[in-house]
Amino acid sequence: MLGQLLPDLDVIATIVLRGAAVGALFAIVAMSFNIVHNAAGIFNFAQGTIFLLGAFGAYVLADRAGLPWWLAMGLVVTVAVGAFTALQGWITLLPLRSSVEQDSWLISTVAVSVIIAATLTLVFGSHGNMVQGPLPRLTIVGVRTPGAFLLAIGAMLAWYLGLRWFLRRTFTGLAISALSQDFDAARAAGIGVRRLQILAFAISGVVAGSAGFMVAPMISVSPDAGLRYVLNGFVAAVVGGIGSNTGTLIGGPLVGVIAALTAFYVGGAYQDLASLLVLVLILMFMPQGLFGRAAARRV
Amino acid sequence: MAAADAPLRPAARRPPAASFTSDRQQLAIGILLILLTGLGPSLLGNSYWEHTFQLVNIYIAVAVLQNLLFVDAGQKSFGQGAILGLGAYGLAIASGLNGLPLGLGLAAGVLAAAAGGLLFALPALRVQGFHLGFVTMSAAIVFPQLLNQLDGFTRGLNGISMAIPGLAAGPAPGLSWLTLLVTAVPVAALLGHYGLRQLPLGRRMRIAAESPEAARSLGIRPGIMRSLAFVVASVGTGICGLLYVPTVGFIAPQGFLIELSFVFFFAVVVGGRGQLLGPIIGIWIVFILPTVFLVKLVEYRPLVYGLLTLGVVILFPDGVVGSLEAWRRRRRQRGGGERAFRLEAVTALFAALPDAPLPAPGGAPVLTVRGASKRFGQVVALDGVDFDVRAGEIHGLVGANGSGKTSLLNVISGLSLLDAGRYLLRGRDVTRRPAAAIARQGLGRTFQTPRVFQSYSVWNNLRMGLDARAAAPDAGLARALEGLRAAHGEESPALLSHGQRRLLEVVRVVLKDPSIVLFDEPAAGLSSQEREEFAALVRLLARKLGKAVVLVEHDLDLVWGIADRITVLETGRVVASGLPADLARDPAVQHLFVGGAHA
Repeated sequence: MLGQLLPDLDVIATIVLRGAAVGALFAIVAMSFNIVHNAAGIFNFAQGTIFLLGAFGAYVLADRAGLPWWLAMGLVVTVAVGAFTALQGWITLLPLRSSVEQDSWLISTVAVSVIIAATLTLVFGSHGNMVQGPLPRLTIVGVRTPGAFLLAIGAMLAWYLGLRWFLRRTFTGLAISALSQDFDAARAAGIGVRRLQILAFAISGVVAGSAGFMVAPMISVSPDAGLRYVLNGFVAAVVGGIGSNTGTLIGGPLVGVIAALTAFYVGGAYQDLASLLVLVLILMFMPQGLFGRAAARRV
Repeated sequence: MAAADAPLRPAARRPPAASFTSDRQQLAIGILLILLTGLGPSLLGNSYWEHTFQLVNIYIAVAVLQNLLFVDAGQKSFGQGAILGLGAYGLAIASGLNGLPLGLGLAAGVLAAAAGGLLFALPALRVQGFHLGFVTMSAAIVFPQLLNQLDGFTRGLNGISMAIPGLAAGPAPGLSWLTLLVTAVPVAALLGHYGLRQLPLGRRMRIAAESPEAARSLGIRPGIMRSLAFVVASVGTGICGLLYVPTVGFIAPQGFLIELSFVFFFAVVVGGRGQLLGPIIGIWIVFILPTVFLVKLVEYRPLVYGLLTLGVVILFPDGVVGSLEAWRRRRRQRGGGERAFRLEAVTALFAALPDAPLPAPGGAPVLTVRGASKRFGQVVALDGVDFDVRAGEIHGLVGANGSGKTSLLNVISGLSLLDAGRYLLRGRDVTRRPAAAIARQGLGRTFQTPRVFQSYSVWNNLRMGLDARAAAPDAGLARALEGLRAAHGEESPALLSHGQRRLLEVVRVVLKDPSIVLFDEPAAGLSSQEREEFAALVRLLARKLGKAVVLVEHDLDLVWGIADRITVLETGRVVASGLPADLARDPAVQHLFVGGAHA
């Protein structure tokens, strides 16, 4: 019985590898969520389309490029997406100056997500595009693997370590971490809250945009794909515990492997349904996630 | 200071009919607009506009429910398009494809929509805010995918054609039953939204949305309110889905993409969040304008409504109708002034009531706390506190900042759970009970920051306390309340001073008729006259009505002036407890007087 359900070893390896690679993308989006959430209490619904901007950057500037050109363009796209996200952050934070208006960000970030996707559709059409990257296919545990898979997992680990270092070892990073504890105290301590929050947006754009650029070869670069990453990235963040980057390292690949298993056993079109069910279940039974802080209640 | 007395003589100089909200007017205008657009084209024989407005009016009904969900229940849903689709597909699959009787098909549609609503409502029991935003958005992404995949049931991309022949006929030439139905549904949705706002349920939903702690302290469970709102909105949206089928005659997955959900959401924002007229104007702007004027440029539509929404949020966060309403309110708002809200009326009211049978002194305590301990991480907030309060007793709770006063209040009101110790309320063990249950057991409280709701008039803010009462007010109280309604029915709480807001909250909790009341720093920000009125009211509560009162307060003169017993806390421990006269000489208490509080 069990033997029929369990496929061959190389199929398992394929599922796990593909799941981990796709899950690494979800983890990266989740980390970029966390940066902004911790600094500004905002969940940027446009994070998926911002990730996609990086991928479109690769499609326009670095398709079939050699390694040096690819690296140079990667830098250009990363900086551009970071600057764009900083601008988005500035706009998002504008209405929050007044104390009455505290949930406008939910509307404005969704609107920005729609605007990006609509603009991409107008410019590139609504079909999916393929990008060829500089890395060749590799063979791992007997499975031929696109080089971008490794790039995805590598980018997840690199950004995790990079953010960890930045948030714990640099003055600016520590100031951003302080924001997540207490805005008022941070302001009282002389920290320029608004500038740091915009910086957090910029960093989240750099993380998501660079990842989108690198992994363009393994995804379908189409304007509506952003929604998939924003959804799964959020599920990864919730599973790991919102605000915890360490949690995303588990949450992302977990969601990715569940999606890959669903694709194998049920069908590729059911992957998002599986993520939705995971989200509903975890919110109902473990809303704080694996590594989440219990939110302190203020009265 | 002629202006100070103005609220008592409202007719003197102010416009007579300046009502606090324009809900009633907006309702009338909204119904008129729907009737004109719904019936007008048919009567004029214009089939293009007839058909356009049939769909528009269905969308308006969905947007009205979205508005209710968004503002009255505080839930941001990006999935109402999927709920609409569930209603439509439920009917079309049951009756259109499988030939079931129409009645069953209609039931199937509503059930499908309600089931979709449950998917949103169940997580809403536990979480709120952006979490639910993502759940609903995921559902809107997944729904068309599923329709395509399950083509055995849904015919996938080919869609389902279905007509309901009986609806094409009608009572008058040119006027079909379908037209009438499609006009009636948004009118009903609007009336329902208006009606809900007049009910205690509507106020409870709004309180739960705006201040979950205040809601719980009034015996309301916010999770239940959120879930209920999702279910109500889904059933209504499902009914709209039923009508979508004969209106369009054909349903396919492309009709229910996430863009549709965004249209409903954006329409509410652009039209004006919370305004009854908002969804109508919003759908006209977000849906009709691009559909009619950008016919040739269909692909620009999402960009247009995305930019429109972003622009509105940044530049006019109140939306079209909301900005007009804000302008009206600024010009015509009433209330405010030095003596705009005072306790005298309420105090007089209670003074006139017959005495409650006072409990014998030394009877069983209303509230007993034993060995209460509470820690937050490394910080010990409460460390083995014993605390008793009897009926008719005013119990002062004093101590420096951080001594655990508010922690104790939060434990007593159930907002935080004890790590160790027991807590009995009116003889029942409520140690692990949730705040709402404790509030229903007869506990009321105020907050350091008064929870006053700007979207309600002063009277409706008070009325929330009445809504939470276990027993209906008797004839004498009801008559007196009429006076309060007349004085404050149309006054805006936005104009009240901080102290007046405190007093408003005090009256609200008194109207809840709890057997024990917790006041958390009630005197902060009160003028000296307001302090005296407050002290008089508290004395009445205890002496006349037999309530137990717990008073956390830094104004030691006030505490020593009215308290029967006083407990002093220091770093989470009770250091002294007894009669005020004895404690004033206690060295453990002396330093409190030397400190800044008394300076």
